[in-house]
Amino acid sequence: MESSDEYNFSIFRPRNLHGRKNRNIIFTMLLIWATAVFGFQILLKVVEKPVPEKAYVIFESEWPVVLSGSMTGESAGRLMRSFLLVKGKNIVSSGDQKILSGAVNTLFYAAVPDSVEPVIINQVAKMKEMKAKLATVRDQEYLSTSSSIVESANLLSGETSKYSGFENKSLETSILVNCLSETYQSSFSEEELSRIPDIMSLYLIHNQSKLTDKHFLGFPFHYFYTAVFLLILFVSLCIVYNILVEWRLNKQGVVE
Amino acid sequence: MKKISISLLLILSAVYPLHAESLTQLEGSFKTGPAIILIAILLTFVLVGVFFRAKDPADYYAAGRKISRVGSGMAIASNWMSAASVLGMAGMMYGFGYNGLAYVVGWTGGYVLLLILMAAQIRKYGKYTAPDFIGDRYYSRGLRIVSAVFTILISFAYCVGQFGGIGLMFKWILGLNYAWAVIIGSSVVLLYTLISGMIGATKNMQVQYIIIVISFLVPVFILAFKFDYFWLLPQIGYGAAVTDIVQGIPAPNIADGVAMVNAYGHDLAIVPSPEFAMPWDPSTGTTFFQWMAICFSLMVGTAGLPHVIQRFYVVPRVTDARWSVVWGLFFICLVYWTAPAYSAFGKLLSSNPDVGLLAKDAIVVYTAQLGGVNSLIVGLLAAGAVSAAFSTVSGLLVAGASAFSHDLYVRVINPSSTPKSQLKVARIGTVIMAVAVTVVALMKLGLIAQLVSVAFSMAACTIFPLFLLGIWWSGSNRAGAKAGLLAGSLVTLVSLTYFIVGLSGKSLPGQDFVSYWLNVWYFAWIGAPLAVIVNIIVSLLTKPTPLEIKKFLAEQVHN
Repeated sequence: MESSDEYNFSIFRPRNLHGRKNRNIIFTMLLIWATAVFGFQILLKVVEKPVPEKAYVIFESEWPVVLSGSMTGESAGRLMRSFLLVKGKNIVSSGDQKILSGAVNTLFYAAVPDSVEPVIINQVAKMKEMKAKLATVRDQEYLSTSSSIVESANLLSGETSKYSGFENKSLETSILVNCLSETYQSSFSEEELSRIPDIMSLYLIHNQSKLTDKHFLGFPFHYFYTAVFLLILFVSLCIVYNILVEWRLNKQGVVE
Repeated sequence: MKKISISLLLILSAVYPLHAESLTQLEGSFKTGPAIILIAILLTFVLVGVFFRAKDPADYYAAGRKISRVGSGMAIASNWMSAASVLGMAGMMYGFGYNGLAYVVGWTGGYVLLLILMAAQIRKYGKYTAPDFIGDRYYSRGLRIVSAVFTILISFAYCVGQFGGIGLMFKWILGLNYAWAVIIGSSVVLLYTLISGMIGATKNMQVQYIIIVISFLVPVFILAFKFDYFWLLPQIGYGAAVTDIVQGIPAPNIADGVAMVNAYGHDLAIVPSPEFAMPWDPSTGTTFFQWMAICFSLMVGTAGLPHVIQRFYVVPRVTDARWSVVWGLFFICLVYWTAPAYSAFGKLLSSNPDVGLLAKDAIVVYTAQLGGVNSLIVGLLAAGAVSAAFSTVSGLLVAGASAFSHDLYVRVINPSSTPKSQLKVARIGTVIMAVAVTVVALMKLGLIAQLVSVAFSMAACTIFPLFLLGIWWSGSNRAGAKAGLLAGSLVTLVSLTYFIVGLSGKSLPGQDFVSYWLNVWYFAWIGAPLAVIVNIIVSLLTKPTPLEIKKFLAEQVHN
């Protein structure tokens, strides 16, 4: 009578030489696979450090000046630039965008002469009107409205650059034009004063290390490793596994 | 930035964006060229489906085991590359930066597990469907029924994301609202699946793969060329774009006297944005734990998805099963190496505040549009995305219908049914499932990639442990399998319950804790190991596996 134990097996306790060889290949593959995928991410986590962007360094140096109430025109410009560099990130939440827009408007209009202010506000209002219209029109009208917005933004860009300290058509000016509104506060609100430091640290401090700062084929190294190399490794592992298995089956004369 | 000779750039001047002249409306209008391409492709699918239609149940379930290695690899890739791969993955990277790469790695790394732990053994076991294997290996009609139900649920969850993707593309091309787009798209895919079955589907999957690859790759070459990156191999060339995003590009961006602008005339410029590439950046709202959990869940889920496992039944020999995985993975990687390029170019092209953050699930098509790529090529890209969703949905509907007809109807309800009535029941099951999926897809419960990852976690918690232990440990018995399945199902149920309650705006005790640690997108990180452990413990404490099962495993599967 056959014993049930005779056919017992597990991946850890194969029944014969064939099984043991197969197990060794599988465990080797799994080890390489797991180390390459998860080991690297753990390494990234272990070596990372919070690194601020330049804009955050500027913000940190200028913000105490704001709190002390002794802000100069120059420091306002530097602070506005740091805000704009956060506002230009399209990942910023709408709530945080609103806070930053308020702060930027306060700083910008403080630098604009009273005689010019109505002109800029008028241009901003016109552009907003066109943007609102854009959501409701289609086809040719959509295209012509879009063109008008681009032209209007160019005009406003030229005007604002005279007072903001940023070059016309620069990235900062483009972001500034987009966040200007017809109304503004003459000084920072309580909410802005309390939330801005958190907003700035959230968007301007990143987890970086030598693995993220080194470059390979144009990529940040860690990005290349994860997005390109790991996939090459997976295909390679599969090919090597198949070749090894079939070589061993042939050697042992096994027909599947 | 990698600069190339501007003279080369001028060769493509016909498609170079010229400010306002090239302005484009991202949404809302009927697009004639893309619509014609889409209709032509869909007609091709239906014709291929009719020409290679299923003649009997063997054809319907397993394509008569007539598919070659490369053909099966293409079918695996096409079946695999859904709207989540073509649309959703780039969207995740566009919206969540480095954490989006967890989807790229998770959806490819799982194939290594599938190959070394499952593919050949499943083929050697010689069953048609996942419930077939589970019912037979664990000598349990109850487990067959439960696993058939899970197969249907997993296919269902997977389909929801696909129907959402089909709806998005039909909306973009036809200028319809989302609801009508989903209804029309669902009707077309249902019609095609009913006509063709698996053999038509397998042939179609090969055609679909070619369309997906061509339509997905061509725009990236053009975009890389136009924006002065290394275009001969854009899968590497976009690396410089990632670095540019991290370091920022000042405006105006001039290369050899030519301004780099998007289709709206905005400079191809961006503020320094390290959050796009730095790991688990706080501003993306993602963490290291989430990266690991998503990646693990997707990998393990890959090896447990019934419609993926089912692909190994259609190859003639065991060695074909192994090599079809390699081919399949390689074909998949061609697209997965490319998807991050769309997110990088999309990030650059939409960086102007006038454009703002775009809809993540449509970023692939929007990127091509904003890059001023010819509208017919963009149309082909959208049609390719529809193809990806179609190929996957047809496989899923067949897997779901197989579970309904083969595992529930024939094995449980009416064992004496004729082949004709089996086919009829399979088709009725397909219709019911498609209608139900359409209703859920209309609710827009999440991003495509996220919706699909629910199916992966579900498969990882339920089907994967049964296959893993069923193949690799003769000691895993019926009681252990039931207990393990129960444990995996409970984790699934808890996660889904908290998710649904959260959606309704209410909260249960520990809502925040469960929403983070047992999130519906990655609950398998704990559910799958738990199901395996419970299975082992209960198996050790209960009556051993019958001799004939052990003997079959030892002699047929592992000898």
